[in-house]
Amino acid sequence: MHVPDGFLSPATYMTAYGLAVPLWWVGVRRLRHELDAETLPWLAAVSALCFVLMQWSIPLPGGSSVHLSGIGLLAVLFGPWVSFLAVSLVLAVQSLVLGVGGVTTLAVNALAMGLIGSWMAFGGWRLLRRVHEPTALVFAGWLATVAPAAVVGVTLGVQPLVAQGEEGEPLFFPFDWEVTLPAVVVPHALLGVVEGVVTWWGRSAWVRLRVRHGE
Amino acid sequence: MESRGWSRRRLGDRLGLVVYGGGVVGVTLVHDPVWLTAAGVGVWLGAGKERGRLLRRALRLALPWLVVVSVGYGMVAFWSGLPVGEVLLRLNLRVGVLVLLTVVFATRVSLLRAVDFSPTLVWLFTMVMSQMVLWQRLYEEFRLALVSRSPGEPDLRTVLQASANAIAWFADQALATARNQAQALRARGLLE
Repeated sequence: MHVPDGFLSPATYMTAYGLAVPLWWVGVRRLRHELDAETLPWLAAVSALCFVLMQWSIPLPGGSSVHLSGIGLLAVLFGPWVSFLAVSLVLAVQSLVLGVGGVTTLAVNALAMGLIGSWMAFGGWRLLRRVHEPTALVFAGWLATVAPAAVVGVTLGVQPLVAQGEEGEPLFFPFDWEVTLPAVVVPHALLGVVEGVVTWWGRSAWVRLRVRHGE
Repeated sequence: MESRGWSRRRLGDRLGLVVYGGGVVGVTLVHDPVWLTAAGVGVWLGAGKERGRLLRRALRLALPWLVVVSVGYGMVAFWSGLPVGEVLLRLNLRVGVLVLLTVVFATRVSLLRAVDFSPTLVWLFTMVMSQMVLWQRLYEEFRLALVSRSPGEPDLRTVLQASANAIAWFADQALATARNQAQALRARGLLE
């Protein structure tokens, strides 16, 4: 659900950076505190999997794209703060090295996918895991997809309101949220089921791999 | 001791990062299509000998989004009587310039050298970037291996089997590489 460069007004992306920078600082501190040399390789490997999953994306008329992300898996395995930072790094490398996504939109993408996606997935999983673990994992993956999509839809949809020319014409993304919300959220609500299955499968594979590696 | 060439390249990369950041913000503050066109031509000319290849790469990245949004907005504007020409021209130019700028930046500037003022940023980017490069290379090798093994177009079952094997292999390789890097980082005191 990356928002590309050029779709968001400076007022939007500057505000997002203002919010994201202190949160990244908290994330780095948590990462340094929580990670050790045993866990770090696993985090790097799962982050790389997220990168691969995000590579196959389809543009949506709502100004975003639809793709798997692995964020639910990251959040469930490593917690929401570490997941937020890992997703932010993947997005930063994608935008600065590969030109995918955007630099101006990096903070919005990181807050939507990394922060909100991770916390929603983590919360959903914690809520349901005592009832039925597989359902909780599928729900976590679904939330990690749909919640960021809603945030991205609203952020794009406010652009015609916050950045207008002299005659009221949109200066950045032209659709309002009556178009962007359904255009972004509906495909993600469907894809979220696949993301949920990936989260469930990924967590099972992770447990098996750790056993195989004697951890 | 650091060589003079390395210091100069590092300074150049940091300067490149600053110029790129300023350029990106600047392009979002300009709304006149004439100035956006001039910025695009400026970036393209400044891209050097590889300008043709970089322009094609930028177009490959930007076009899917621009086509989908432009066609969608064009239809809505046609039915609703909204302004269409300048809105779409501005949007397409702005996105095009920004993507070209990013592609030129990614080709010219080493991100790791540009951020080496912060050991934390260096180790974070090193871990993630090396994994991405590894996964991309392995993905390409597995894809080519599947193509070379298949006399015709591989069926779904074959593709799924190859994908499962590839994922298992990826996981082991990624983990082994990340372990080596974590050991190297710990040996240099970066995980203390």
